[in-house]
Amino acid sequence: MRTRHPLALVALAAGFGLWLAAFILLYGSLSVGCRLGWHRIELAGGLTLQRAQLVALFAVAVAASGGLAVALRPVRPADEPAEGFLRPVAFRAAVAATAATVVTFAAVLVLTTCR
Amino acid sequence: MTERMTDPDAPPATPTPPSEPPRLSPIRLHKALSAAWGTPPGLGRLSAVNHTVLGKRFIIAAFVFFAIGGALAMLIRVQLATSETAFVGPDVYNQFFTMHGSVMMFLFAIPMFEGFAIYLLPKMLGARDMAFPRLTAYGFWCYVFGGAILVAALVAGVAPNGGWFMYTPLTSSTYTPGINSDVWLLGVTFVEISALTAAIEITVSVLKLRAPGMSIDRMPIMAWYLLITAFMMLFGFPPLILGSILLELERAADLPFFDPLRGGDPLLWQHLFWLFGHPEVYIIFLPAAGAVSMMIPTFARHELVGYRTVVVAVMAVAFLSFGLWVHHMFTVGIPHLALAFFSAASGLVAIPTAVQIFAWLGTIAAGRPRYDVPMLYLGGFLAVFVIGGLTGVMLAMVPFNFQAHDTHFVVAHLHYVLVGGFVFPMLAATYYWLPHITGRACERRLAVPAFWLIFVGFNLTFFLMHLTGLAGMPRRVWTYPESAGWDGLNLLSSVGGFLTAMGFALFVMDIVVQLRFGRRFRRNPWQARTLEWATPTPPPAYAFAALPRIADRADRLDPGAIGVALARGEGYLGFDRDGRMETLAVEMASGAPQQVVVLPKPTYLPLATGLATGAVVLALLFKLYLVALLGLAATLALFLAWTPSCGARADSGPLPIGMGETAPPHWEAARPPSWWAMVFTLAADATLFGSLLFGGVFLAVVGPAVPAPPIVLPPALLIGAGAALVAGAAAAAFAVRRLVAGRSPAAALLAALVLPLAAVALLLPVIGGLGDPTLHASRAVTFVTLAYLILHALIAALFAGFGLWRMRAGFLSATRSLDLRLGALWHGYSAAAGIAGLAFLCGLSLLGVVLPAVPGVEGGPP
Ligand code: HEM
Ligand SMILES: [Cu+2]
Repeated sequence: MRTRHPLALVALAAGFGLWLAAFILLYGSLSVGCRLGWHRIELAGGLTLQRAQLVALFAVAVAASGGLAVALRPVRPADEPAEGFLRPVAFRAAVAATAATVVTFAAVLVLTTCR
Repeated sequence: MTERMTDPDAPPATPTPPSEPPRLSPIRLHKALSAAWGTPPGLGRLSAVNHTVLGKRFIIAAFVFFAIGGALAMLIRVQLATSETAFVGPDVYNQFFTMHGSVMMFLFAIPMFEGFAIYLLPKMLGARDMAFPRLTAYGFWCYVFGGAILVAALVAGVAPNGGWFMYTPLTSSTYTPGINSDVWLLGVTFVEISALTAAIEITVSVLKLRAPGMSIDRMPIMAWYLLITAFMMLFGFPPLILGSILLELERAADLPFFDPLRGGDPLLWQHLFWLFGHPEVYIIFLPAAGAVSMMIPTFARHELVGYRTVVVAVMAVAFLSFGLWVHHMFTVGIPHLALAFFSAASGLVAIPTAVQIFAWLGTIAAGRPRYDVPMLYLGGFLAVFVIGGLTGVMLAMVPFNFQAHDTHFVVAHLHYVLVGGFVFPMLAATYYWLPHITGRACERRLAVPAFWLIFVGFNLTFFLMHLTGLAGMPRRVWTYPESAGWDGLNLLSSVGGFLTAMGFALFVMDIVVQLRFGRRFRRNPWQARTLEWATPTPPPAYAFAALPRIADRADRLDPGAIGVALARGEGYLGFDRDGRMETLAVEMASGAPQQVVVLPKPTYLPLATGLATGAVVLALLFKLYLVALLGLAATLALFLAWTPSCGARADSGPLPIGMGETAPPHWEAARPPSWWAMVFTLAADATLFGSLLFGGVFLAVVGPAVPAPPIVLPPALLIGAGAALVAGAAAAAFAVRRLVAGRSPAAALLAALVLPLAAVALLLPVIGGLGDPTLHASRAVTFVTLAYLILHALIAALFAGFGLWRMRAGFLSATRSLDLRLGALWHGYSAAAGIAGLAFLCGLSLLGVVLPAVPGVEGGPP
């Protein structure tokens, strides 16, 4: 039994932590954008500033969450019981969180932003 | 293996470790440990700090409040049984349903699970007590006193009447001028103290106080559930506490946080409340689900299927539940895109819940299930909860929600979820663990008819409410006209309510009968395979005569064999060391033994501190602010009086813990339980502060655009205060380094005392120069933010002073630096909050300038 850094436990919550961060960011910037009238600022071809920033944030969120899942993917069988537990569990949580990120925020692609 | 402060300059620890106390015969060991851990009889019971005692007290008190809430439910059903009933008028009815909801949520459900957690956790994890026994006791008193205030208000006819979620402006002083709302805001906040102390206690106990060898992947599944629930409480309750403080400030001091005429917004309350309120629903459900996950494997005679998947699912529920609070606010006019987020998250949360249900069903399918009373109640749980989940998914769909919002359909849904998801599992849990508490086996004679009465009565009551709700019957109305045509269904529903009540009466009788006449048994009547059944039953105060070494997952053990060995003192700490109350702390992930945690003896201090806190609450309620201040000082002084019994005046070095191993006492370890408790306290505190900042931004960005008067923030003062806070934190950290290096920390501590006070001195004129904070919400937010920072600076100074006191009293040395490290944590947080808060204020005042200047923004240029 090797003494491990307590932060290793935090990996368990990392995936959904990212989801929550994305939630706060997207909900916040949605509100701020509506208040500042970004949905009336057209960038090009009907794409508003509001939609552009939301979609960009969405992409970053999916990429971050997916990246985390890849980083936590299973490696060779671990030598320590707790190790062989923490990492697979953290990995599964990250995969689930990535799916949750896609489902929760995909609406930024289609719905009107400020009504 | 042990974790010590390592510093090259540190003087060497005691060279020869003291030898192990002598081995005793099982009987003498039992006597010695009982003497050390016991609670004194008679009035001495009020000094109890033991988890077995306090767990039982929590459960009993929660059940009493359940009976009170249930009586109110019966009165509600009497009133609604027929149209135009003249039993009570709207004023009383409003108090009835508000108190029914509040009592059930805050005084029954949360404390009930806390009681089970406090009673069971140490025994499941192989520890002798929770990490902070006196805090358990303090939480208990806060809970009971707060509940008593609420119930007294009901008797006096001034109970809260704004619904259990207390929406403003209904609950603001304009529309509720009496003290009804204050009773709720102050009373419930008082009770929440106990929820927070329990959350910290559970988190730290699960993470640190386990039997050696119980690595994190071997924990019994209920420990996972409780750990995750406790984390949810740490982050879920602070928004409610903040909201209550703000609303109370609005009512008492006219600070207009929720007043739209002065830049406030009632929706801010809704956000803060539901930011707590939805997680709350899962905070109630998850512990019950944890209990279910313990019982089903026992009766299926098969270990839980998909342990890891369940852990992931519970974590997913915990997080998702923080992202769906707006589904209670679908109809308030939030942009559809935002609604889509919340709607999606609300639908998603059903998946991990379903995963758990499949894990339970899979366990039953894989095993050789055996029927007994708890299983019957679990069947009731599954049936009722699944229906509640289905109506929940219906309500998560925005268009349906618009139809059913605020009707009895919602009342039906929430009871299917709460009664299904909490009451039925807890009834099962009561039957399951009652033999542990009493040492008497479970009888079926009354338990079965009680179940059927409750089950049939419940469904009769609430299934029909779906129909009245769809027929348009609103919730929270004291009566309805005959022409509405709801009479028949309502009458049947009330009949069902009384059947349910009779079922509960039968349940109580059954418990009494079992307490008196139950058949005695030796150990483990259900053939469970978890550690709590390895204690003698009823359990002695010390729970385990020795702590086991766990070599397998904690749901694959043989409690019989383990119990016998432990009673003989075979294991860790299987001896009596000078009558001290000792248990072990382990490394979080691996479960390697790390520290000897020495727990405090019974004391009246928690009771006294609870009384002083209660005096503060009452003084605030009756607007005696000077008395409140005195009470606060008394509370603080009493808390300081807790400390002299902590720590030691001499270095001890590693102590033998049995099995040929040693570990230092916790105050000589780098990360003792109290260090973690401080970290988690600060995390909860940061959540409260974050909610305040969220509120400020919310009001500025989406709140009503009422032109704000300018806010003057002298930059020199702000920068000076920020710098002083940071320097104070640096001084506190430096004090730790000095001490660990074997040099005197006095000068650094003095700096850590003076610098925060300097910050306060700089911030006071800022508050003074703010002008009238009642003019506009932005000023009120600025005011509260500054007050928060000042409060934290004052406490930081207090910590530094405390460090000096402990130094003079001889509690500090290079190996005994815990007190200073706790203070340094607080200092660090205060500085970080100071920087964040001051930056936020600058941003806020900038936003006030920028927003109106943006074309097209309401309140801005056209
Ligand atoms: C089993 C017996 C129970 C009965 C007959 C019952 C009955 C009712 C009724 C009729 C209402 C609606 C009042 C109205 O809107 O006019 C209500 C509201 C409520 N009940 Fe129950 N209830 C019971 C148990 C529970 C339990 C066990 C809980 C929680 C754990 C609970 C929590 C609530 C809450 C939160 C409300 C909403 C209060 C509000 O609108 O402010 N109830 N109950
Ligand atoms: Cu909800």
